[in-house]
Amino acid sequence: MNALYWWLLLSFLLFCIGAFGVLARRNVILVVMSLEIMLNAVNIALVATANFRGGARGAGTLFALFVIVVAAAEVTVGLAIVIANYRNKSTVQTDTYDELKG
Amino acid sequence: MPGGDFHPWFFVIVAAWILVCGLGVVLFKRIMYSAVSMVFCFLGVAFAYALLNAPLVAIIQILVYVGAISIVIIFAIMLTEVQSGKMSLFFNRQSAAAAVVALVGAAVLAIVALSSDIGHIGSESLTPGLRQLSRLIFDRYVFPFELVSLVLVAAMIGAIVLATREKERP
Repeated sequence: MNALYWWLLLSFLLFCIGAFGVLARRNVILVVMSLEIMLNAVNIALVATANFRGGARGAGTLFALFVIVVAAAEVTVGLAIVIANYRNKSTVQTDTYDELKG
Repeated sequence: MPGGDFHPWFFVIVAAWILVCGLGVVLFKRIMYSAVSMVFCFLGVAFAYALLNAPLVAIIQILVYVGAISIVIIFAIMLTEVQSGKMSLFFNRQSAAAAVVALVGAAVLAIVALSSDIGHIGSESLTPGLRQLSRLIFDRYVFPFELVSLVLVAAMIGAIVLATREKERP
């Protein structure tokens, strides 16, 4: 099998582990952590493809850096929202955030 | 097996490390254990970048993820520890459905990737070197670079505004 396939397989498995964490855990902070794992999986796919295929003059490596920066911004805002929500409701369980429930 | 000029077992070790630590994040009951497992998972991903001939991305991964994002997350855990300690409920009701979705998603992704033609893969690494990468950043992609820094500043200001209000409420 090709070398790239193994790295892509690793990336997909990690992505699905993160997706399971986002869907299944009840703690909002753990959901944010699982999101970070999903972004890392995407980054592995980007860097591996840029390494073995080298399209667009290696811009895949650069996009991985952009993804890291945007992930940093995302986790900052996300955790600020979690903290603000915690002040209002004093809980971090996802299924207690149900004020908009119809 | 995974190409490059390293022994294939390095890939196996790094992949097993990443996947085991990733599973630890999702499955540990105490959220602090999850956070520590996440730090090790990020470290393993940095090793993966190093194996993929991208040392700059590996260093930035360690600086940003292992250094900064983990600290922010651990601070958030400590600020909400009263609720998120060991008494917190573990999985929510749809966890079985979530497992099914994740497994089916993994299978579909793997089948699609393995059956697609990704063309000829040479043995040499095509990752741009540091010089070429900096050319890319500051020449061709300079506008996205500035934009992403603006996004970062906006996110920081937004986080401060979000996390420090609440004083005027009775």
